[in-house]
Amino acid sequence: MAHKAGFQTDEKALILAAQKGDQDAFGQLVRAYDQSVLRLAMNLLRSPEDAQDVYQEAFLRVYRNLNNFRFDCSFHTWLYRIVTNLCLDHMRKRKVRKEESSLVEGSDGPVDRMDTVQESRAESDPQRTMFSGELRERIQKALSELSARERMVFELRHYQGLKLRNIGEILGTTEEAAKNCLFRATQKMRVALGDFI
Amino acid sequence: MNTCEKVREQLSMLLYGELSFDEEGAVDTHLEGCAECRAALEREQELHAAFDRVEIEPPASVLWESRQNLQRQIAAEHAPVYRVSWWDQFLDARWLKSAGALALLSIGFFGARMFPNLGLGFTGMSLVDPGAQRVRSVESGPNGGVQIVLDETRQRVVSGGLDDQNIRVLLLSAAKDPSDPGLRYETVGILNDRAQATEVRDTLIYALEHDENAGVRLKAMDGLKPFVRQAEVRKALAGVLLSDGNPGMRTQAIDLLTQGVGDSTGNTTSNGLDRDIIGTLQELMNHENNAYVRQRGERVLQLVNASRDTY
Repeated sequence: MAHKAGFQTDEKALILAAQKGDQDAFGQLVRAYDQSVLRLAMNLLRSPEDAQDVYQEAFLRVYRNLNNFRFDCSFHTWLYRIVTNLCLDHMRKRKVRKEESSLVEGSDGPVDRMDTVQESRAESDPQRTMFSGELRERIQKALSELSARERMVFELRHYQGLKLRNIGEILGTTEEAAKNCLFRATQKMRVALGDFI
Repeated sequence: MNTCEKVREQLSMLLYGELSFDEEGAVDTHLEGCAECRAALEREQELHAAFDRVEIEPPASVLWESRQNLQRQIAAEHAPVYRVSWWDQFLDARWLKSAGALALLSIGFFGARMFPNLGLGFTGMSLVDPGAQRVRSVESGPNGGVQIVLDETRQRVVSGGLDDQNIRVLLLSAAKDPSDPGLRYETVGILNDRAQATEVRDTLIYALEHDENAGVRLKAMDGLKPFVRQAEVRKALAGVLLSDGNPGMRTQAIDLLTQGVGDSTGNTTSNGLDRDIIGTLQELMNHENNAYVRQRGERVLQLVNASRDTY
């Protein structure tokens, strides 16, 4: 459980205080969202270093531009616009550099460097040990083959649990377009994994 | 496209809860009468469950490091730049005297923690402590010289009573130092002795509500025990009850909030247990997963003859 019960009602007060230079208030805003920002960046970019770059840049932009925030949308939406734009830039650059894979050469052949990073529910789920490494590899490959926007919508919907309406707002598109994007993503994933599931 | 094909295309959106009311109704109706589509739904559920298992949770160390880096970058954006000559910086120490004593203490106390790895080893520079400085900028000066702008941090030992305002300011800041849970724990422990002061109590409440470290939160709760009748303390404890991730903290919060309910002989008394607290306990019962905490909460509700669900 997070410390969010009474937080949301205070968010506007925190933003206003941070806009006046209150560092504590800014710190509280960061802490309210930074874990999910880091998780989003890490899952999308599959590189702790790139995820940390996005984290730094995103919150620095928030810090520098907070005075321009006019409550036209929620703070969450505004922050996620910044984060998703930064992630999309990284993903597109990576496509150009053809460095899409996070696989590195290990002593026993190629391994995904993110395998060394803790996965959610790994400890709490006893069936985790039964999970096929091959299936996981196929899922990761299928995810990497989605377009940057499909990957983003899938990430925001499936892993971050955001509604399509909110995702459309974040990505500057309509709910319908976000839905089509998610539909294409899940269809591609189903085709790629059809013989496994 | 026949009905089965159309329904199967919608299964993923069904699981995401993104179908309209009418679409969902039509899919549900079809599924009731079509075993093949129900099997397809099961496969879709398995697919979604498989997706879940490749999600990465960032390690706490990466989050911690990110926060530290952000704090450093923001501090750097705010740091004043003293564009004076290197000669002035190190041979004319009068600037030290002109700085406020408290500011110096604060810089020394916290700066060492904020920039632990930024010291540069200046061999041959005997006038300064090489471990307590970093070069902010360099530029060429006249006559082939160079001007170096340095940020300095110096450690100082300060001592004094808890009622000394300067000491207290430092302690109140240290209690919120995000980089060092050990420091926060010790500081909160010391501050507990002065919790009768509003500013100290506010800091303890802040630690109780926001500190990431359960040990620090528990320590802060200890300091607030004598003030459990105060509204702001009760509000903070109610927040702990509903949102603290540590079952031990939630148990302690129940004990404090329900002091006086049921004496040692088991007799029931509802002294001080207001509607808000009963409501909070009932809300807790709706989502509490820990059996022990549930048991404690249920026992209190029984003692005051309140139901688990409504008041």
